[in-house]
Amino acid sequence: MQHTISIDQIGPNGVEMARAVEQCVHCGFCLSTCPTYLTLGEEMDSPRGRIVLMKSALEGTLPLLDSLPFVDRCLGCMACVTACPSGVQYGNLLIPFRVRAEPLRPRTLTERVGRTLVHETLPYPARFRVAATAGRLAELLRPHLPEPFSAMLGLLPDHLPRDAEPLPYLYPAAGKPKARVALLAGCVQQVLAPDINWATLRVLARQGIEVVVPHGQGCCGSLMMHDGDDEGARRLARVNLRAFPTDVDAIVTNAAGCGSGMKEYGLLFQDEPDEEQARAFAGKVRDVTEFLVGFEMAPASLPDPVRLAYHDACHLAHAQGIVGAPRKLLGAVSNLTVLEIPEGELCCGSAGTYNVEQPELAAKIGERKAKNILRTGADAVAAGNIGCIVQIRTHLARLGSSLPVLHTIEVLDRAYRNAPLFTTNEHR
Amino acid sequence: MIHIESIEDVQRAMRACAHVLPRGGGSKPALSVPPPDVEELDLSNLKGVVEYNPGEYTFTARAGTRIDEVQALLAGHGQYLPFDPPLAEHGATLGGTLAAGLSGPGRYRYGGVRDFILGVRLVDGTGQLVRGGGKVVKNAAGFDIPKLMVGSLGRFGVLVELTFKVFPQADAFTTVRQPCAKLESAVAALERVYLARLDVDSLDLMPGEGGSATVWVRLAGMPGVLHARAERVRALLGGGDVLDGTDDFLAWREAREFTWVPPGWTLVKVPLTPGRIAGLEAILDPLQAQRRYSGGGNVAWVALPDTVPAQRLDGILLPAGLAGLILFGPAGKVRIGARENEVFERRVKAVFDPAGRLPDLA
Amino acid sequence: MDNHALQALIDALTSLYPPDRLLSKAGELAPYESDALTAYRVRPAVVVIPETQDEVIQTVKLCHAHKVPFVARGSGTSLSGGSLPVKDGIVIALNRLNHILKLDPRERIAVVEAGTINLDITKAAAPYDLYYAPDPSSQQICTIGGNVAFNSGGAHCLKYGMTSNHILGLKVVLPDGQVVRLGGESTEAVGPDLVGLFVGSEGLFGIVLEITVRLLPRPEKYHTLLAAYSTLEAAGEAVSRVVASGLLPGALEIMDRLAIQAAEAAVHPNYPKGAQAILIVELEGEPEEVSEETQRLEQVIRESGAYEVRVAQDASDRQRIWKGRKSAFSAVGRLSPDYIVQDGVVPRSRLSEALAEIKRLGEQYGLRVANVFHAGDGNLHPLILYDGREAGALERAEKLAGEILDLCIRFGGSITGEHGVAVEKRDYLPRMYSETDLDVMWRLRCAIDPEQIANPGKMFPPGTGGNGVVSPVAHSTNLHPLDQAGIISRE
Repeated sequence: MQHTISIDQIGPNGVEMARAVEQCVHCGFCLSTCPTYLTLGEEMDSPRGRIVLMKSALEGTLPLLDSLPFVDRCLGCMACVTACPSGVQYGNLLIPFRVRAEPLRPRTLTERVGRTLVHETLPYPARFRVAATAGRLAELLRPHLPEPFSAMLGLLPDHLPRDAEPLPYLYPAAGKPKARVALLAGCVQQVLAPDINWATLRVLARQGIEVVVPHGQGCCGSLMMHDGDDEGARRLARVNLRAFPTDVDAIVTNAAGCGSGMKEYGLLFQDEPDEEQARAFAGKVRDVTEFLVGFEMAPASLPDPVRLAYHDACHLAHAQGIVGAPRKLLGAVSNLTVLEIPEGELCCGSAGTYNVEQPELAAKIGERKAKNILRTGADAVAAGNIGCIVQIRTHLARLGSSLPVLHTIEVLDRAYRNAPLFTTNEHR
Repeated sequence: MIHIESIEDVQRAMRACAHVLPRGGGSKPALSVPPPDVEELDLSNLKGVVEYNPGEYTFTARAGTRIDEVQALLAGHGQYLPFDPPLAEHGATLGGTLAAGLSGPGRYRYGGVRDFILGVRLVDGTGQLVRGGGKVVKNAAGFDIPKLMVGSLGRFGVLVELTFKVFPQADAFTTVRQPCAKLESAVAALERVYLARLDVDSLDLMPGEGGSATVWVRLAGMPGVLHARAERVRALLGGGDVLDGTDDFLAWREAREFTWVPPGWTLVKVPLTPGRIAGLEAILDPLQAQRRYSGGGNVAWVALPDTVPAQRLDGILLPAGLAGLILFGPAGKVRIGARENEVFERRVKAVFDPAGRLPDLA
Repeated sequence: MDNHALQALIDALTSLYPPDRLLSKAGELAPYESDALTAYRVRPAVVVIPETQDEVIQTVKLCHAHKVPFVARGSGTSLSGGSLPVKDGIVIALNRLNHILKLDPRERIAVVEAGTINLDITKAAAPYDLYYAPDPSSQQICTIGGNVAFNSGGAHCLKYGMTSNHILGLKVVLPDGQVVRLGGESTEAVGPDLVGLFVGSEGLFGIVLEITVRLLPRPEKYHTLLAAYSTLEAAGEAVSRVVASGLLPGALEIMDRLAIQAAEAAVHPNYPKGAQAILIVELEGEPEEVSEETQRLEQVIRESGAYEVRVAQDASDRQRIWKGRKSAFSAVGRLSPDYIVQDGVVPRSRLSEALAEIKRLGEQYGLRVANVFHAGDGNLHPLILYDGREAGALERAEKLAGEILDLCIRFGGSITGEHGVAVEKRDYLPRMYSETDLDVMWRLRCAIDPEQIANPGKMFPPGTGGNGVVSPVAHSTNLHPLDQAGIISRE
């Protein structure tokens, strides 16, 4: 599309933003995969519409604030990128736009407190544990709390897992090591589902991969990055740039959101002094399934047959293009049938902190995902991201279903140990 | 009767006469008998193929050109009119066929006359020569006036030149005929074929004596596999005789030329759907009509003895929500049964024929 | 435009629609200013989003009462500006009128609301092994209402026809608010084919609410063949041979080198390397018949000089071949910042001639032209690539586009095979039809829409009718010299 954006005047990432606008031919192919368009049925809440709005705001032909309600409602799921025949890198427009908009927009007190809460607790496991515990106690207050606090509380599990054993610095490979990787332990996940990391270590080790879990690492900063706080994101990212060794075959993560964010460090650190280091880091980032699929997998089997619905986390399938690897790994497990979820390209509504910031819309999108999952008749669901696991579990529960929801790596872990996929005790 | 030799003749006649009715080959007598004080324009001499390009799958011809002549020309190039125009041996013309909106049993496979008309030239009620559509198989420019002319019975203008799309003719044909003791089983068999993933050329059902009915299925294509395909049809129908060569030809000629209609009887076209065959059979029962269902049950051809006035059929079709067009029988009110809201039709009529020189919409 | 009347209409609409379905803020209106013909943008006064047919009818009645123009919009994918808003008019967005009201496999019909997505009809019919045949490349998002308004085509038109050949009945609201039913459920009819007249009337006759479509049994077997040629002429020649052999393929498509490049970059169909042109031929039907026809086809292709021939081995192979072709238009965005996509038709036998002429014209204007086309029916889609930032490039591209349209007319073809006239080609309608013909069409339009409020400014050149026709003013973000000089009218 033609535009009159003054590229030099719109700050960093101006070239990428303008290019995304230029490449868009307004064909509308993205609409059929956009969860907000399918839910809200109006052009402003579609990728095509949002591109027009962001373009106009950048041109100055539309007041920035007029575009924000709709840009805010974007999940950032990047399903549109997968669908776009013209190759529009929508993320390269959305993320910098949000960063640019942040200082220019008024926020209510509730919004500011909510954002601060999210930004100051989620990335820090210790703080998050405290906040989550307090949140559990505040359950009674929930109906009286404004959004997004109410939404946040609604997503917390009934019981927080016991504080798990701290992860070891080095987890040795079984047999002679074929590779050496560094693991991102994550933030929220360590509190809500610490077993995911342990399962990751076990699976990698069984495949002959040595894992280091660097000390002093922290949150990858993706939440902040996708939320428009690039300074905050860089602050957190730098902790990891310092903490992670460079002499590993890959920097592995089991959270799709983190993987997608870290792969974008180049964009985040554009024109920064440590840009090169950030790019080198980003170049090594791999999702655990992406990394594992390159190895000859050891035989794995579940003790009893299980029909498993596989959910594509949007930050895995669309943002990173990782679709085949998890399916190949799961497909190789005996006694496991992998089922496709109808409307599989649609986000579950978690999308980072979307379910906290846009609770109503996230709930509609989450309900749609839950219903689609139930349509498969599966015995369990697997996904490659903690956010999805929480969101799907919440919305299945709201439909009265206690279908187990696990991480892909947990499924593989149990298969290698020939352990049952779930028992009644496993329900969290 | 004014004998037309040229397009200008038509224009002159239109301007000179107060009321006109165009006539082609007169093969649909009910449509060709003018009321008193209506001048009939005989277009049977406004004939001839103007352009034919087999590589383009199109031809243009004057409206009075006989169907059988066109078919012979096309056959020489391995092509044909896929809508299987009826009454060719009775002198049906291109213009008359289009204006009456008639298609034969072979319409089942690729579509009816409306699906093959590409362009028309007509003289409207003010004597203007108007062109609609084009000469290529794909055209989305302007309003689809060619389609408007389908079934228009000369109400909007006198067709003078038509451009049609044609298709390659199949190499060979075969027919499966399955007589059924009961109508019910025949309809069920027809519906099985209707839904099947087959490329059927024609699908007809003809009720017979004592509540029986015969299902007719024609297949077209490469000779080598025709009988294998016929076996699949036989399996669907639960049996049936296979007819080839002359038998196949004659079977469909009977359908196309309506030779099953006794002389002097009224013949009415009733658009239908397969699910409504049983219902129509039930309400036609008291009339001693002869019937044939064609196009997979999308059209019923109802023949009434001359002792049964068409009004009786009108009285039966109307409450059933069905429409009818009288082809053989009394002229005058040839459209019987249910009618759509005429609002749209009237406005269109006013544009093409403001002075009412052409027949009214009845 | 009488702003009084417009304001009165808007006030009336606020009683009919809740605020979230009556859009009037700048941020809400901006995304509706354009469809897929992005060179034109017009901001409507308001956009309404009805959820029932009744709301549509009431809206049209109100527009009629206040004499305010309206534009119906499905998914806004028109390539000719079909849903371009009218200044001081409203847009009626029909995407929420998307219910499939009835699907009767026994009768092989479906009754759907106008906002239903084309592909969703096929998806609903799939459990019965039925499908809705017309398949425009945008079918995963375009609406059936839009398809009806523009008589949309697709890749399977030679054998199966266009949208119009699959529509059995319509329920429409005329511009004065009257609701009319045309046609029915049968493929046969008595009386003039008013459904046929309505399809392709580009929104000038009112708004379609409900559509009865015909469903066909899904072909049992597809044989999809891809042949690579070292010249475009050879591919065109191959098409003539296929036609001459008496075969009737379901689809016959050609893509040239530039289009192949774009498609490859976009969706990685893995087309043969280095091809100057590829030909896609698809046979379909009963397995025995397809096998026989395949033998004939393969012989024809062998003799046509293809340097590589591939046959789809399974459904996913077939999907991949088609995906490349169907994404070609949008994919071209990767090769060039801007492009104009055209839709001319020439007699098939003159296809090679037309392509050679287009190439020559492209060189003359210094612009690259990618070609994708429905070779079976002579429907060309030249994609004129240009860079809008380059001075004078847009003007050259538009001039080239005009010359190509003239070429089509000269060759006895059409200015549009399937995208419709709408805004993009309205100035060319008089080159295809005489004054008399245009006059009849104009009078038809006025008979159905005397107030000229239904999608005005589309199809007919501005000034048609000569009695103060209201034409929309398109506010292009770049008003360039030719526009200002009135040499091209973009209004």
